Amino acid sequence: MASSAPADETHFIAHKGHFRLFGLTLDDCIKVFFGGNAVISIIVLALITYFLFREGAGFFGDNRRNLEVYRQAGLEYVDFIRAQQDDHAALTRYLSDLRVRQVKFYTQEKKLSLAEANAAVAGFDEFAGQYGDAVDPIRSLVSDLTEQATAIKEKFNVMEDKKTERDQLVAAGQPAAAAKVVVVPVDFVAELKPILGTLPAYRDASADFAKRLAEVVSAAPAMPSLALQDRLERFRQLNAEYLAGFPAVLRNLETWDFRKPVPAAQAFMSFLFGREWLTASFWQDWYGVVPLLVGSIMVSLVALVLAVPLGVGAAIYVNQIASPIEQKFIKPCIEFISAIPSVVLGFFGIAVLGQALRALSQVKALSWVPGFPYSERLNILTAGCLLALIAVPTIFTLAEDALNNVPRSFKEASFALGATRLQTVIRIIVPASLSGIISAVLLGLGRVIGETMVVLLCAGNRIAIPDFTAGLAVITQPVHTMTGIIAQEMGEVVHGSIHYRALFVVGMLLFFLSLAINYAAQRIVRRYRIAIG
Amino acid sequence: MDTLAPAPTPQPPAASVPAVSAPAILPAPAGEILIDIDQVDFFYGASQALHNISLQIQEKKVTAFIGPSGCGKSTLLRCLNRMNDLIDGTRVAKGSIKIRGIDIHRPDVDVIELRKRVGMVFQKSNPFPKSIYENITYGLKLQGVRNQARLDEVVESSLRGAALWDEVKDRLHTSGLGLSGGQQQRLCIARAIAVEPEVILMDEPCSALDPVATAKVEELIQTLRARYTIVIVTHNMQQAARCSDKTAFFYMGKLIEYADTRNIFMNPANPQTEAYVSGRFG
Repeated sequence: MASSAPADETHFIAHKGHFRLFGLTLDDCIKVFFGGNAVISIIVLALITYFLFREGAGFFGDNRRNLEVYRQAGLEYVDFIRAQQDDHAALTRYLSDLRVRQVKFYTQEKKLSLAEANAAVAGFDEFAGQYGDAVDPIRSLVSDLTEQATAIKEKFNVMEDKKTERDQLVAAGQPAAAAKVVVVPVDFVAELKPILGTLPAYRDASADFAKRLAEVVSAAPAMPSLALQDRLERFRQLNAEYLAGFPAVLRNLETWDFRKPVPAAQAFMSFLFGREWLTASFWQDWYGVVPLLVGSIMVSLVALVLAVPLGVGAAIYVNQIASPIEQKFIKPCIEFISAIPSVVLGFFGIAVLGQALRALSQVKALSWVPGFPYSERLNILTAGCLLALIAVPTIFTLAEDALNNVPRSFKEASFALGATRLQTVIRIIVPASLSGIISAVLLGLGRVIGETMVVLLCAGNRIAIPDFTAGLAVITQPVHTMTGIIAQEMGEVVHGSIHYRALFVVGMLLFFLSLAINYAAQRIVRRYRIAIG
Repeated sequence: MDTLAPAPTPQPPAASVPAVSAPAILPAPAGEILIDIDQVDFFYGASQALHNISLQIQEKKVTAFIGPSGCGKSTLLRCLNRMNDLIDGTRVAKGSIKIRGIDIHRPDVDVIELRKRVGMVFQKSNPFPKSIYENITYGLKLQGVRNQARLDEVVESSLRGAALWDEVKDRLHTSGLGLSGGQQQRLCIARAIAVEPEVILMDEPCSALDPVATAKVEELIQTLRARYTIVIVTHNMQQAARCSDKTAFFYMGKLIEYADTRNIFMNPANPQTEAYVSGRFG
């Protein structure tokens, strides 16, 4: 044995690894190829995360400066008074609503003609007119102040632009040209003087305003019915609350100081809890994510409410009840839905579903459904229905996997104890696969929250928090979503502007949401595996 | 749906204490024929698994089915409570299986009721991923028993019946999957007897157990025979010899010999049986 070994050995070595590429054998090449692929995907993920954060992180500094200018240029001061004016406008709307109700009462209950009804509410009209006109002095004050504050902000913006220009010239190595750029510093103290000078005038106007409102309301005409009288009483109450808020406004104005610094946390808070997303406005831009977040969540919730019973139900049917032929038909059909491009679904949503749902909502027999009838074709409901269609394949496939993982012996044991098929499904199969089903639902949610095209096309794109006081009818209101806003606005923003960065931060938020959802789903699945043993 | 109950005394459906308390087992002397298998042919799709099997199983005896793998003994066992219905493409092509004279394949036989009367214990212990208590009460709850005292009572009596009570009485509400293999199998037996069946089918109940656990289950079978008719499929010939009264030997889907256990092992009539029980093939 030992004597023949050396010959064999050389034989082996001579023929091992004939092929070499950069000194690597074929085996090594294959290893590098596959390893490289794995590494590339990790690198790409890291790069995406890095850029998302790099572009987004600057937002908070920008937003803080944005808020500082808001304060320094006096916009905040003016907004105190403007809020007062806006609240008054809301009360005026309440009165117009009350008028509509009265006319309805006269025409429907008392069977008066429209002209007679209008005549009957003439006294009310006069009252409402007086109430509405009372705000005029305040309104003219606000409009003057608005002009002044806008002018200050404009000056500030010009200064900032000039500074940027100068800096760019310096950076480009043209100090001579840079020196020629004139930067006019804004003297906020001097600029704000005229604005702050209006305080005594406001004090008088506000006092007069309050007195006038109290007078007008005390002389309000009586209502023709008890229900309407209740509404008027409610109005009186609201008005009293409104008037009680006046001293606070005055106090805000008196103590207002443009030098007060904006805390860093507020730049963050005004994004996360800001109730307004307002861009490219002449007055002040707000980057509050709440309307978008609420929109995304509402649409996803509606989608889940529809998709969970459909997806899980179909999975239970296919896995437990269907015959092999049915299985062969149903499974590919449901899985095919995920192959439809979402933009095509969006088309379908606009052209068919939105139209059909609206027509359905106007059917008299269905008027008991909350929110029906409605006229806005594109809304939470339309988008939610389509997103449900997108979530169903995900939920179905994963839930079916979970059901499949339930050992067959559980099913047999249950049948052997005299359980019916339904009892077995409900008492054994579904509980045993519950965590798998929950994680399927979570992954469906992740799929839905990240979906863009459908919501952009079908959610209605109104940037406002939907009116939750409407109860369930809220789902017939249009919303805008986080994904939708990024897709819509990213193409139009100036690269590097605060708006651009704000969109990145919205992207970050989405990223975190998806991450959290996926993490939760994985955790649940892991626990479930242990439980089955 | 008609049930298997032969007596024309239907129980009031409103009773919160159904089948279990009522004497599901009609008083019959041991040795009377309970299950009558008559010339049964059975198919999995196109392949025939059982050929013309005729066999009579006596009440309150332990009947063992032995034979090499694939000989059809498990198939026949699963025919007795129609568990084969769960497998697509299976059918009993010929012959009949009668329990107390009623053909279990008759269209008006409720298979659910049949399975309540003919319980089953599987090869691999398969407690539900629920607590021990819930495992035992599962069958009763299916029948609508909600009375807590009654459930407690059945849990105790079933666990005692399966010789498991002393081991688990302090942890009834922990998961059944936390028990050892032998305990799990006895839990499955307790679960089966909780619904008071007449017949208990055991499909190689000890094949996954160690010798100590096997001994306990065999001991249990000896005590159960006083109350239940037991049909056991086993690969272990010593087991068949130790704990059965009658033994049936199957080979290639055919019943070769069926006789008292003593005769099968000591004095087999058929040379194939002799070859098998003496270990020359199988």
